[in-house]
Amino acid sequence: GDRVIDVGSEWRTFSNDKATKDPSRVGDTQNPLLSDGDLSTMIGKGTGAASFDEFGNSKYQNRRTMSSSDRAMMNAFKEITNMADRINLPRNIVDRTNNLFKQVYEQKSLKGRSNDAIASACLYIACRQEGVPRTFKEICAVSRISKKEIGRCFKLILKALETSVDLITTGDFMSRFCSNLGLPKQVQMAATHIARKAVELDLVPGRSPISVAAAAIYMASQASAEKRTQKEIGDIAGVADVTIRQSYRLIYPRAPDLFPADFKFDTPVDKLPQL
Amino acid sequence: MNNARTDRSLEGAMTPGIPIFSPMMPYGTGLTPQPVQSTNSLSILEEQQRQQQQQQAAQQSTSQQATQGTSGQTPQLFHSQTLTTAPLPGTTPLYPSPMTPMTPITPATPASESSGIVPQLQNIVSTVNLGCKLDLKTIALRARNAEYNPKRFAAVIMRIREPRTTALIFSSGKMVCTGAKSEEQSRLAARKYARVVQKLGFPAKFLDFKIQNMVGSCDVKFPIRLEGLVLTHQQFSSYEPELFPGLIYRMIKPRIVLLIFVSGKVVLTGAKVRAEIYEAFENIYPILKGFRKTT
Repeated sequence: GDRVIDVGSEWRTFSNDKATKDPSRVGDTQNPLLSDGDLSTMIGKGTGAASFDEFGNSKYQNRRTMSSSDRAMMNAFKEITNMADRINLPRNIVDRTNNLFKQVYEQKSLKGRSNDAIASACLYIACRQEGVPRTFKEICAVSRISKKEIGRCFKLILKALETSVDLITTGDFMSRFCSNLGLPKQVQMAATHIARKAVELDLVPGRSPISVAAAAIYMASQASAEKRTQKEIGDIAGVADVTIRQSYRLIYPRAPDLFPADFKFDTPVDKLPQL
Repeated sequence: MNNARTDRSLEGAMTPGIPIFSPMMPYGTGLTPQPVQSTNSLSILEEQQRQQQQQQAAQQSTSQQATQGTSGQTPQLFHSQTLTTAPLPGTTPLYPSPMTPMTPITPATPASESSGIVPQLQNIVSTVNLGCKLDLKTIALRARNAEYNPKRFAAVIMRIREPRTTALIFSSGKMVCTGAKSEEQSRLAARKYARVVQKLGFPAKFLDFKIQNMVGSCDVKFPIRLEGLVLTHQQFSSYEPELFPGLIYRMIKPRIVLLIFVSGKVVLTGAKVRAEIYEAFENIYPILKGFRKTT
């Protein structure tokens, strides 16, 4: 018959009957996609009196490092998981990031750069590739690397892997920013519509999509019952409130055309704040 | 014929009107007599010119096409060019020379008109070797407009007002001159710095003057759809509004980097000779016309 070796984790890890004598225990999960095969053994901490020599030090002190060739890579994977955890990224993005990192690491063209910088840039690219881009500032918030360095590594990685990413749009960030501000779905949809129309009508040439999105959220929230200040929106979006002001000034003249047709105005269009 | 052309263009190129490699140097008598050096650099320059001419023989037709449309504006520019094969003013007519294949095949106007816009040079970076070790402290103390902060940077930063340039002078004797607006001005400024150093008592020479980078800018006078450009020219362009508001276009031939902005302004950099800037702009102009914003 077909017998398949299950390379998943040992599912009886937590059982404590016959703890030391269970012959079906075979080791940790294998990660063949990422490391070069995980067949090394580690010496664990001792239990019982015999594992300690005189003076109370444990015999077999050194836990020999497993795969020294990809110790740096394992370290980077751990760092990537930590970073992703801080902003609650799903497993598929983390896996994609790990794959990107592995490709970059094996290529060795970016060998001199800090691994953390490469990892942060890989995380940024993975989010982009999955269709849920995070701003550089959001990645900066969970990484110790500066935005400048992440940006540099980002461009280098795209060159090294010969890939490209789609351009960011205002709609990519709407759901996240609006939820963080606690805005209802109506306001979010209105803001998405405003931002899209503003870009279509070319009211904001040369402005970063994040700034346009922030200004659209400001306009939509100010027209609804859930008003938010520029400072609050700037905090969430990572843009300065003067930037929101600048973009808002550009979209304000055409405000009546930008709102969706079925929007319920709490504050009518002509009473929107004029900055 | 060729040689005569190079000699004449050299004369015009070095300093306006003054033959530089004669014993009567315009910059005072402090210079150590260096006839050997001078002729060396002269012959090196001639060689470079010949090489350039050979390399650019194929491009001559296109560059002359470009210069046709703009020759009204550029006689002064070409006067100061040393390393291009563009025709000298007054010596050749406006039409391309008989050897170009364009004239019999195409009608009066070529298929795509030249843009009529000439990029203006904004900055030239050049290096020169003064050929002797320098004591930066004495230079910093005795020269005017010199700053020296060894803890921050290991070179003397000297500035002159005419041409408005800045030079970094290193203790090895090598010097970087930045800020000039033309090749001629860059060379002139470098010579002035060399003279300053010489007057302070160092046996300064003027070896291996080389222009390392030229920056030009121009305006296409219409707004550009950068998103469209990055979609079609993905392998050359990089447009990240979060990082920089302009599109960074890395042209392969010639190897020039262009910064293209929504307003229609274009910055070209990375050129070693003026013709590369012009050629790069002529290459990008039809592409930009295709991405003109219609509203």
